Amino acid sequence: MALYDPVREELVKADPEKGSFRVHRNAYRSAEVFEQEKQQIFAKCWLYIGHDTELKKKGDFHARRVGGRDLIFIRDKKGEVRAHYNTCTHRAAKVCRERTGNARNFTCPYHGWVFSSEGNLVSQNAQTGYAEGINADKHLDLRSVDRLEQYRGFWFVNYNPKAISLYDYLDGARDQIDALMDQTEGQQIILSGEHTYSIRANYKLLCENSYDGYHLFPVHASYFDYLRDQMVGTPGEGLIDKTLATYNSAGCARSLGNGHAVLDSFVPTGRPVAQWLPSMGADTKDEIEARYANLVSRMGEERAKYIAECQKNLVIFPNLVINDILSVTVRIIEPESENKIRVTAWAMGPDDESEQLRALRLDNFVSFLGPAGFGSPDDIEMLEICQDAADHTPIEWSEISKGFGKAEDPLYAEGAPDDEIQMQAYWTMWDRVMRGIDTLETR
Amino acid sequence: MNRAGVEDFLFYEAELLDAWETEQWATLYTEDALYEVTSPACEDPAGADARNTLFLISDRIDRIRGRATRLTKKTAHAEYPRSKTRHMITNVRVTGGEGDETKARANFAVFRTKEDTSTIYMGEALFTLVETANGVRIRHKRCTLDLNSLYNQGRLTIIL
Ligand code: FES
Ligand SMILES: [Fe+2]
Repeated sequence: MALYDPVREELVKADPEKGSFRVHRNAYRSAEVFEQEKQQIFAKCWLYIGHDTELKKKGDFHARRVGGRDLIFIRDKKGEVRAHYNTCTHRAAKVCRERTGNARNFTCPYHGWVFSSEGNLVSQNAQTGYAEGINADKHLDLRSVDRLEQYRGFWFVNYNPKAISLYDYLDGARDQIDALMDQTEGQQIILSGEHTYSIRANYKLLCENSYDGYHLFPVHASYFDYLRDQMVGTPGEGLIDKTLATYNSAGCARSLGNGHAVLDSFVPTGRPVAQWLPSMGADTKDEIEARYANLVSRMGEERAKYIAECQKNLVIFPNLVINDILSVTVRIIEPESENKIRVTAWAMGPDDESEQLRALRLDNFVSFLGPAGFGSPDDIEMLEICQDAADHTPIEWSEISKGFGKAEDPLYAEGAPDDEIQMQAYWTMWDRVMRGIDTLETR
Repeated sequence: MNRAGVEDFLFYEAELLDAWETEQWATLYTEDALYEVTSPACEDPAGADARNTLFLISDRIDRIRGRATRLTKKTAHAEYPRSKTRHMITNVRVTGGEGDETKARANFAVFRTKEDTSTIYMGEALFTLVETANGVRIRHKRCTLDLNSLYNQGRLTIIL
């Protein structure tokens, strides 16, 4: 079977005059397309590996699979962050068998080669048999990824040595990361604990869902029912329907270049930074209002308002989701095949918030997000029925046209919160990278 | 309470859950109740605190009731069509308690079938039970899972 040819096959069809934007369902269901994505997307784009605050001490590490490759994300004993391939340069064994921990060295369990946290081969566990200077050229050191760069503590890898810088790649998404990191004068940190689960769906279905304003009412009706029930007899009663009534006009979906996009919206969940609602309890009111005042003094009124009140669902192409909503979640989508993903998600919050606010933040998180919340599982069910249906029906196209055709360049467009311009940006970029029109390389 | 009394009560809770009598199930909880499921990767599931580490579930009574009600709705898409479950409760031990309170532990395995896929949630549950005028009630239930992730299960949309 010939590998799918991204140059000849048209999987994304855009006709701005007709306002039509369509994606061929083979892009979600074909194993051949997925094989090509491994080479075109996951070997060329910047892929998130982890946050700086997950490596607190020298020697801290996490073993992570990123774009199908097993890596050791580590702060070496000199303090430098590195990403080594988790394989022995001798005969391939994994040198790190824990998911997380602290190490000065990694000793390969098979024949006992020892590698330092910097990746240097320090022992071959043999007195005889090796020629002097066999590692003079360092080829037996642990291999590291070609590129590892960070923006405000978010570390990304790139498997293409010629890739453009992370800074340029992030483009308009940098401003969104700034809005998140500027929430505090202190430091935003990844909080204790993680959610890891799987979904039987293509990774792009979860990306689409993560900033889809259009699905909110049908999919999350039971969550809004719950919110309403919670607010009965409180000053917040009525607020929910009032805010939701203006949902489609109050925010916007914006594409940020290079396939990244954000959904800015207003949903009355309350936000630990820094929008207090009665449902959050009287004991957090003063702190949240003080945080807001602090934001205004540091960032100015307009920016403070955006940081504090706007719910932001950000997707950084191709597989990182940062939802700054009722709580902040950083979510990696690791594709395993055309119809299976592994999701790992963390909560993020300021290191200088009170115990009460931290508790509220985590409580907000689990109320909606994660594999046992009142929101995400319903999303997941939708993705699985999309995948199952696409896999088992011959229908060729999905229609992603809502709001299409107004902007000159879909990579920098703006639309209503329930438009699909964010997905149009994603798919436009996907198509360009798959076809090699955009190489994401420095010239 | 003695072991037999605790067992009878836990078997009753399990029966309600397997029958999807979720709102009836919620009435077994006290006003100050807490129902928790720790994250599979949690380092210290018995000692962890949902106020500073991410759990899968940490419901006070409002959300216990909210969860129970949500699960009766067709718009709880994740449980539509509703899965079949079977709660197995074993190795019940009374571990302490004072006054009207009894602390107990039990092993559990909950089988869930959604459409053609069956998965298991296995682990240990830690209970604080309280005897009231209306019968036994749950003040605290913490389920810890013998899992490293929900990779096989996908999600946790039933009540353990
Ligand atoms: S494979 Fe690692 S020492 Fe042989
Ligand atoms: Fe959703």
